[in-house]
Amino acid sequence: MSESDKLPTPTPISTPSLTPKKAVSVQKPPLAAAKNDKTSGPGIGVYVCHCGGNIADVVDVKGVVDQASGLEGVAIARENSFMCSDPGQSMILEDIRAGRVDRVVIAACSPSLHETTFRSLLVRADVNPFLVEQANIREQCSWVHHNHEEATAKAATLVRMAVGKARHLKPLSPVRVDAAKRALVIGGGVAGLRAARDLVGLGIDVDLVEREADLGGFVSGLDRLYPDGEVAGDFVERLVSDIEGDPRVTIHRSAEVRRVGGYIGNFTATIASGASSADQSADQSADQSADQSADQSADSTSASTSNVEVEVEAGVVVVATGFRPYAPTRREFGCGRLPGVVTLPDFGRMLADLPDTASSLEVDGRPVRSVGFIHCVGSRQLEGVHKPPKGGTLNKHCSRVCCTATLQTATQLRDRFADVAIHDFYQDIRAYGRGHEELYEQASRADVIFHRYAGDTPPKVRKAPEDDENGLLVNVVDGLTWGEELEIGVDLLVLSVGMTPGDIGTIIDNLKLATSADGFLQEVHPKLRPVEMAVNGVLLAGACQGPKDILESCASASAVAVKAAVLLGKGYVELEPYVAEVDSARCTGAGQCQEACPVEGALELVEEGGGRRAKVNPAICTGCGCCVAVCPSGAINVAGWTLDQFASMVEAITEGEEVAS
Amino acid sequence: MPQIPATVDTLIIGAGIAGLQSALDLAEQGYKVAVVERLPTIGGAMIGLSKVFPTLDCASCITTPKMAAAAHHPNITLLTYAELESVEREGEVFRAQVVQKPRFVDEDLCIGCRLCEYACDTEIPDPYQGGYSALRAIHIPFGNAIPQLALIDEERCILCGKCVNVCPTDAIDFTQKPVGLELEARTVIVATGWKLTPIDAKPQYGGDQIANVISPLQMERLLAPHGPYGRVLRPADGRVPDSIAYVQCAGSRDATLGVSYCSRVCCMYAIKQAMLLSGAVPMADITIYYMDIRAFGKGYEEFYRTAEAMGVQFIKGKVARISEQDNRDLTLRVERIDELGQVEERHHDLVVLSLGMLPAYDPSRLVPLEIASDGFVATPRAKEAPCHTGVEGIFVAGTATGPKDIVDTIVEAGGAASEAARYMRSQDQVAVAAGSEAQ
Repeated sequence: MSESDKLPTPTPISTPSLTPKKAVSVQKPPLAAAKNDKTSGPGIGVYVCHCGGNIADVVDVKGVVDQASGLEGVAIARENSFMCSDPGQSMILEDIRAGRVDRVVIAACSPSLHETTFRSLLVRADVNPFLVEQANIREQCSWVHHNHEEATAKAATLVRMAVGKARHLKPLSPVRVDAAKRALVIGGGVAGLRAARDLVGLGIDVDLVEREADLGGFVSGLDRLYPDGEVAGDFVERLVSDIEGDPRVTIHRSAEVRRVGGYIGNFTATIASGASSADQSADQSADQSADQSADQSADSTSASTSNVEVEVEAGVVVVATGFRPYAPTRREFGCGRLPGVVTLPDFGRMLADLPDTASSLEVDGRPVRSVGFIHCVGSRQLEGVHKPPKGGTLNKHCSRVCCTATLQTATQLRDRFADVAIHDFYQDIRAYGRGHEELYEQASRADVIFHRYAGDTPPKVRKAPEDDENGLLVNVVDGLTWGEELEIGVDLLVLSVGMTPGDIGTIIDNLKLATSADGFLQEVHPKLRPVEMAVNGVLLAGACQGPKDILESCASASAVAVKAAVLLGKGYVELEPYVAEVDSARCTGAGQCQEACPVEGALELVEEGGGRRAKVNPAICTGCGCCVAVCPSGAINVAGWTLDQFASMVEAITEGEEVAS
Repeated sequence: MPQIPATVDTLIIGAGIAGLQSALDLAEQGYKVAVVERLPTIGGAMIGLSKVFPTLDCASCITTPKMAAAAHHPNITLLTYAELESVEREGEVFRAQVVQKPRFVDEDLCIGCRLCEYACDTEIPDPYQGGYSALRAIHIPFGNAIPQLALIDEERCILCGKCVNVCPTDAIDFTQKPVGLELEARTVIVATGWKLTPIDAKPQYGGDQIANVISPLQMERLLAPHGPYGRVLRPADGRVPDSIAYVQCAGSRDATLGVSYCSRVCCMYAIKQAMLLSGAVPMADITIYYMDIRAFGKGYEEFYRTAEAMGVQFIKGKVARISEQDNRDLTLRVERIDELGQVEERHHDLVVLSLGMLPAYDPSRLVPLEIASDGFVATPRAKEAPCHTGVEGIFVAGTATGPKDIVDTIVEAGGAASEAARYMRSQDQVAVAAGSEAQ
């Protein structure tokens, strides 16, 4: 959440040299000249958190507090069991309001968790929100060390460094930039469609990019949807009709995002329309095992190559690129090698294409009397049992939707063909959602025969002898009949394939997005910020984040819309103030900084006061500090991370060493 | 009394994590929100947990900042210890009747110093500690409670007056009466949450009879940093347990209990607690008796495999009966499904019944909406609109629509806020259009 609309003008604290300019867009408070800024004023408050037992079980919090209270510039040092809780925050608030403290060091968790929490607290106390420094004594100390004495000493050092840095803290103003009230939604599947509808409903115009000619994504290729058995096409049509013809949504079909860059409020993307997904499907087959079944690759895409490129601007980017169904190799259950072995989506289409009047199913001209379903194909893979694809990793995750989708399909099959034997080979039936358990119950009542296999002994499939009643034989060690080895004849074997991450290398590279161990996109925090990426302004909808069913994809798409409305609602966004700033009086215009700057447009040389001077565009500068390192006259600093601050932190470390020796 | 606005944009029923997230997502867009909570503090069930799966973050670290953010947001009004009496549609808006229950402490005067609590001699069981420790008859619910206001347990207070004598602000007021409030809102979000299935639902498990057969929320408190004992001990005799068992589906997937659905979180909380127990009581054996392990969320399967690798034993089998021995240890009669189907007697010294989720509340008594056959709020277009009740202007978030974990709850809470905001914007546009037409 953004506290930006509550940010007051930075409050001048008593040292005159610290008085900042008013908060204005793309303007920074001046670089103050004082060497040690903390020469007067109330002082630093150090607040050490127990984090329940997360910190206090390993670190002697009281000891850290005692050491901190003797440090230069520290007015008060206190502890609390949860500094982020309201009582913890109130303690700090009271110290500030009573004039005991005018800058704050929090020794607790990682700033990535609660920096914004404590900044908001300072805002409430009418103090500039950047006058807080967080020492991470949890993730970087108590969680990784077991020796109490050493951990306490390290925590004390981290606090000393933070205090050293805090002595030089100055009020900063966030960089304010105009934000486009537009969203780029990448992916026109269920999540993208739902996100688009909700975004326009919240006043944000949308560019929706879909690589296929038709909208609807994976779901549009399905037959019926669980748990209510709705026809997939009807469902997709409903979502599409919600946005089709809406002037606020620009739909780019058969299109792909070639390039995307920028930052929150000001992303730009190049969309190649009319392009086929040819190069994407090429990627797909390249990183698939070479012997994948032919029908799995996206060979249905048009061969059109008319490349019309358009540039679009967006305040936020919504990644709704979905997933790729697992493509079994020819080694796996004979897929693509034996007749009658198909994937669950394929089987859904078979059922959909079957005339209503069909009295029987057929495979290769022979009637299907027995159907088997194997769960967890391409999911829950184990080291030593499954083989990862070349250059890839195992799919250790559960794909969440396949159990219920399989049960739904099995009951549907039973509804149409009363006499077909149905066998279901599973590990655990994960019918977790509303109406799912009922489908499991329904399948059991419909004489679906369940066989439970263990993850390390998956069923084996072979072609049956010519004279056999069925076309295929499945051997399984069945846990439900106490480990009996069964041989079951089937004519059709349906593989419930899992979900794997989609091919979105371009987007990941362009926007520098993080992925988790399972290869899906990694949100900032699963509970604090579940639909946001660490890159500000990039949001996640649907299964690009990990397996999700339709309901869950729609819920996350709606949550994305509300997040976008919060981020862009004011028409501007505020960026972190940690950007390079130039002391014009010392700048000699030598120009090394410009050569060193890795970000185009972030630093330029301009004519100023009769000479060349470096000038930073704070909206683009990433605060990397490359320019600081090469400046021959020490004229550049990164605000909030100045050389003085680093020196002070290093001093703080060595101080500790002297004490120890 | 806090200043209560007569009109808000959204009325949110329930201040658990779902209600708070919806409130924050709306308030950040500038909508005025009132959150009505029955209990004296916000934070819901989540604030009572120790750590949360699959990241093992401490629950407080996630909950308390959201609680504080909601408490201090200028667009959010929290009505705690308040009972919703009715919500009625009146044209374009909803009119809600709310009763502020008496704390017997003046909310404007109380400074949360707890001197009253220290002076009070009357002890009552502490519901936030699983009943394992005591609170005073006048108390602040727990350390992180919001608001930090004392209240008196009307039933148990003996009116000795010690609190009155020590209160530095003369906040104690035995004459306080319930106060009725009326609120007008354009939209309603139902976030009424869940409760555990009753521990005595299956008498053969002895849940209410045997002290060492406990609920998962009691185990959460035993594992929490500020738990009743500060460590994991058997409630019956204070011994450190050596062998702990989890009985899965003890309140779910069982038509005889009227709960035929899966409660969705029990597999994961059992695995999480098993992991935490391996740290808290490293010498203890931990066994989980299950039907299916449903580790379906992001990172959950990997979490399950880690627990297995740590030595947690998973036995596919159904527990038929739990009986207590003379030394307070427990005997479990188990039908094994993984071995040869034999029935075994197995011994443990502490058993957690993995109870399921029931709706905490039937909001249909107060709010004009439909309840589905599972007892949770109906969502007729669940696939594309999981947060829509089907009734115009009324939305739903979190476990009010059925069991779900914290991640899914928080995402849906954002979805409910999105639906409510979209509805209000379209109302505004209709109003503007009507206005310009009239001119």
